[in-house]
Amino acid sequence: MRNLVIKLHIYAGLLTFSQLMLFGVAGLVATAQTAAERPKIPHTVRYVPFTATPGATDKQVADDVYKTLRLPLTRPMPDWFLRRTAENDLLLDFYNINGIFRVIVLEREGRLRIEEIRNSAGLFLGDMHAVTIGDDEAPRLMRVWAFYNEFAIWCLLAFCVSGVYLWLTAQARSWWAWASLATGTACFAAMWMTFR
Amino acid sequence: MGFAGNGDGLLRRYVDDVPVAMYTIIRNIHLLVASFSLPFLIMYGISAVQMSHSSWFQVKPAVTEREVSLAPGQADARTVSREIMNRQPGMKGELSNVQSTDAGLTLRIVVPGTVREVRYDRASGVARIKTSTAGVMGMLNRLHHWAGFWHEPASMKTWAVFVAVVSLGLLIVGASGIYMWFTRRPERRIGMALLAVNLAFAITILTLLRTSGP
Repeated sequence: MRNLVIKLHIYAGLLTFSQLMLFGVAGLVATAQTAAERPKIPHTVRYVPFTATPGATDKQVADDVYKTLRLPLTRPMPDWFLRRTAENDLLLDFYNINGIFRVIVLEREGRLRIEEIRNSAGLFLGDMHAVTIGDDEAPRLMRVWAFYNEFAIWCLLAFCVSGVYLWLTAQARSWWAWASLATGTACFAAMWMTFR
Repeated sequence: MGFAGNGDGLLRRYVDDVPVAMYTIIRNIHLLVASFSLPFLIMYGISAVQMSHSSWFQVKPAVTEREVSLAPGQADARTVSREIMNRQPGMKGELSNVQSTDAGLTLRIVVPGTVREVRYDRASGVARIKTSTAGVMGMLNRLHHWAGFWHEPASMKTWAVFVAVVSLGLLIVGASGIYMWFTRRPERRIGMALLAVNLAFAITILTLLRTSGP
């Protein structure tokens, strides 16, 4: 039994190695963040000719923009996310796993201003760790990654169980491992109670 | 006898090409870091399942409301929140979402799992406080998202230390796991194939996504 659990522990660990490393990196990236808000400085700005349909609603214009630009890994703009700039131009933030395509509809000029805001590699990895299968409308590549993430999440929980089993069935269960577990549990419990 | 108590002979049956002492040290590091991180990893795992399958769980918070009388005429949200925390010792947390209104101020006092929405009326000095307290799953969810040293309260900075330690711990557990696997002859060949599959998949998907703008 123990040999089987060791094998499963090892093989599942190797099969989800990248995801587990990604989870660790994501935690370090979140630790290193200096504010809740992410930087939103565009690295490129370009313009595309665009004529809005006269009488169209903001939602219809947003859908037209989405169909016209076909920005990669984005999805149609929900109506609750429509905003306007201080100059009263329609502002559309198309989110992508790498950042934001910020599109401003300059109706009077007959064109779109497209600002490309690119997240750092760290934020990209942080976002990749958060991709779940709960998002049914995500682009296909993201869905594929989400299923692997899902597998890794269950494996992480299984490692907790199998790791404890392997430790408890080892020839010797050293006192310092108990002390380490007790310290971790006490720290977690103390934080929980502090926040409650 | 090694540090963890396994006989050298038993280890030698599986472990190849490396000194047993080295293997034992790495295994002990693996065990030490994993055992400390265990409650945190369980929290991350369970809350990740909750986020992935939100319909499986009930995370609706319990809501209560109360009123507190403060000094009227205050315009600074920090002063208002400090006064609330002084009068109600159980109410502590981080100030956020401050907005000035015609009547006074709205603000939030937040700790992981508990959000207090405050509406302060400048004329009367009355603060109406709506408290939303998450249940266990909601609390796990909030703890999962909480990180970073930019939070002001000391308790949140302490939590950020644990997040950093456990994140680093996960990397150490992964790296030490790779070392231990590679030293074990029986699992080497199949393990190579599994690791190759995982790396190929991850590198391909990450590259494709990272190169898909902006």
